Amino acid sequence: MNLEKVMFGFFIVLALTLNFGFFLGEMENPEHHNVFELFAVVVVNFIATGLKLGDRSHIGAVLLATSLVADLELVAASVYWAVTVHVTGTGLTSQVMASIISLTGGALLANVISVVMLVSETLMSRR
Amino acid sequence: MPATLEIGRVGAIVLRQMRRPIMTLLVVYAVAVCGMTVIPGKEIDGQTYYMSLFHAFYFITYTATTTGFGEIPHEFSDAQRFWAIACLYVSVIAWFYAIGAIIRLAQNPHFRLALAERNFANSVERITEPFFVLCGFGDTGSLLARGLSDARIPTVILEADEARIQALTLRDYNVPMPGLCADASIPMHLQEAGLERPNCKAVIAATNNEEVNLRISAIASLLNSNATIVTRSREDVFEETLATLSRNLHIVDPFQVFAKGLSAAIFNPALYMFNEWLVGAPGATSTRLSLWLHGTLEPRLRVPPKGKWIICGYGRMGHEAHEVLAKRGLKVAVIDPHPGRSQEDGLSQYVIGQTTARTLRDAGIEDAVGIVAGTDDDGHNLGILLNARALNPNLFVIVRQNRHANEVAFDKANADIIMQPSLVTARRILLTLIAPLLKPFFKFLLKLPEETKDEFMDDLLRRLIGTVGDKKPHLVTLHITGETSSAVVELLESGETVLLGDVLRNPVDREHYIDTVPLVVCSKSGRDCTDTAIQVLPGNDYAIKKGDQILLCGREKAHRLLDSTLNNEYTLHYLRTGKEKPRGYFMQWLVKHYPELAG
Repeated sequence: MNLEKVMFGFFIVLALTLNFGFFLGEMENPEHHNVFELFAVVVVNFIATGLKLGDRSHIGAVLLATSLVADLELVAASVYWAVTVHVTGTGLTSQVMASIISLTGGALLANVISVVMLVSETLMSRR
Repeated sequence: MPATLEIGRVGAIVLRQMRRPIMTLLVVYAVAVCGMTVIPGKEIDGQTYYMSLFHAFYFITYTATTTGFGEIPHEFSDAQRFWAIACLYVSVIAWFYAIGAIIRLAQNPHFRLALAERNFANSVERITEPFFVLCGFGDTGSLLARGLSDARIPTVILEADEARIQALTLRDYNVPMPGLCADASIPMHLQEAGLERPNCKAVIAATNNEEVNLRISAIASLLNSNATIVTRSREDVFEETLATLSRNLHIVDPFQVFAKGLSAAIFNPALYMFNEWLVGAPGATSTRLSLWLHGTLEPRLRVPPKGKWIICGYGRMGHEAHEVLAKRGLKVAVIDPHPGRSQEDGLSQYVIGQTTARTLRDAGIEDAVGIVAGTDDDGHNLGILLNARALNPNLFVIVRQNRHANEVAFDKANADIIMQPSLVTARRILLTLIAPLLKPFFKFLLKLPEETKDEFMDDLLRRLIGTVGDKKPHLVTLHITGETSSAVVELLESGETVLLGDVLRNPVDREHYIDTVPLVVCSKSGRDCTDTAIQVLPGNDYAIKKGDQILLCGREKAHRLLDSTLNNEYTLHYLRTGKEKPRGYFMQWLVKHYPELAG
């Protein structure tokens, strides 16, 4: 058993499942999407990215890249949330909510790719 | 640069050839357009209409090309119509002249040659990986090209025979193989073939003409002193000339290679079998080899017996065969139609005449054990074979096949050894280039003391067959350098030791090893790889050094695994220690402070 694999696997799968949980629900309805869940997704995703820093193998580089993509989209979604609620005062209208959810949808896809790669690498090395 | 020179030449030829037709067209158009504008047209609203330059050019453009849209923009006057008739005929003739000139140019052999050279130079320019230059695409050349394509080494081919180059374009290779129909002994063509480029690693002179091969070798050693040069030539003739040219030069004499092979086959059968198996000779698969090891001989893998031999044809092959057989003290009879040779070379029995039943009896076929049919005529050789078999069915028959095209007939003839000079040369050249360490390895095997020789060879063959199984053996030379084995070199530079045995572990299960056998390690490169610098059959405890070259024989799949091990620091770390190396910075920090967490 490899501790590093356990940690990275744990965080990347947690990020994926939390992300999915936030994404689930009616797209334009703010009631269906919890802001704390979004917060948790961002934090877990950042931890998963941090764990991949320093890996010099090919697959490590690609995992870092997909992880960074997810970070970028999740940060964009949270900033958008904060700006519409606290700065412009637009509030969570259906258009705003749709944009936020589609951004997290993108991040979800990036996380799916990460997990698929992790699983296939593990299967391939067969140790 | 030769390439730009060629592009310039094609452009210059086109411009020079098209100068007159273009000038003619220009003059015809200019006169016609001017005429159209000065000739008065019909009166429109009381004013004589004159065509503008633009309209005149438009009219001439469609008239000269016989399109004919009619009288545009207004109906013509009769004066204009007269001029239009003249313009039409003259301009159409001028166009025919120009088109004819273009077609003539396209058919001009010199122009086509220049065009072919330009395309060739462009495709050579596009090769970025190490490549070879092959001069001569005959039987040997095409066999070599196939072998090099299998080894994935791009090769640039020069061949003087147009038909052979045509044949080349129809072949299907794994890597680019640009070919040019040109005399390879002209330096300019070797330049065009990219000889002076730094990634040109070797030049192979394999034309049928030995003079040409000599010239190519001389030019090549002057133009690129780093490239390996392999020449197909008779060693005795050119040895003195060529040996002084370059230390990178290898001479391959097909008949001498064969003679050495024959000698090995009679006096060192295990070595001969090993070589046959290594080059993938059709009669020497792993299954047959293991049958042979266990004492069950197959007819095609019979070992040439010791006893009296008959050599038919005393040409180059006959000479070499006689020399090795006589040197080892075997009785040899020679049959050859040329009289007066019996005194030279100390021939014990020389029968003058064509090889017939009578001369064969004169030479004593009844008590002979083997026969070499070595004339340069395939029909004769087959005839000798059939005759000899009829007179003495137990003969061991070695037959020389001169032309690759006669393969079917020779396969049916059921000879014990078929000697194809072109095939022998191609195999030897290929091994010299892709596995240069094989030569010191064979030298070592030849020097083995008599008493341990058989046991050693048996062990080696058993080990190789056990590893490779029934697959075709794959030879690979590892270079421990930063480009080809980055992870190993990195470890070595940080002062660690890397054992050969660790590198050869299986990444899937480190308790087992991948299917390959290291044959030789050489710690010096290229020309400095002398006997003192090599280690034969290195053990698993051999510590790899930077700059080492390692020759391995095994399965192709194993060598692919090995390649990824040598370049992946994490796999290499696992194979060396059995533990996973921490990958991320966080894990590296964690392991540094809590070493018990590693694993």
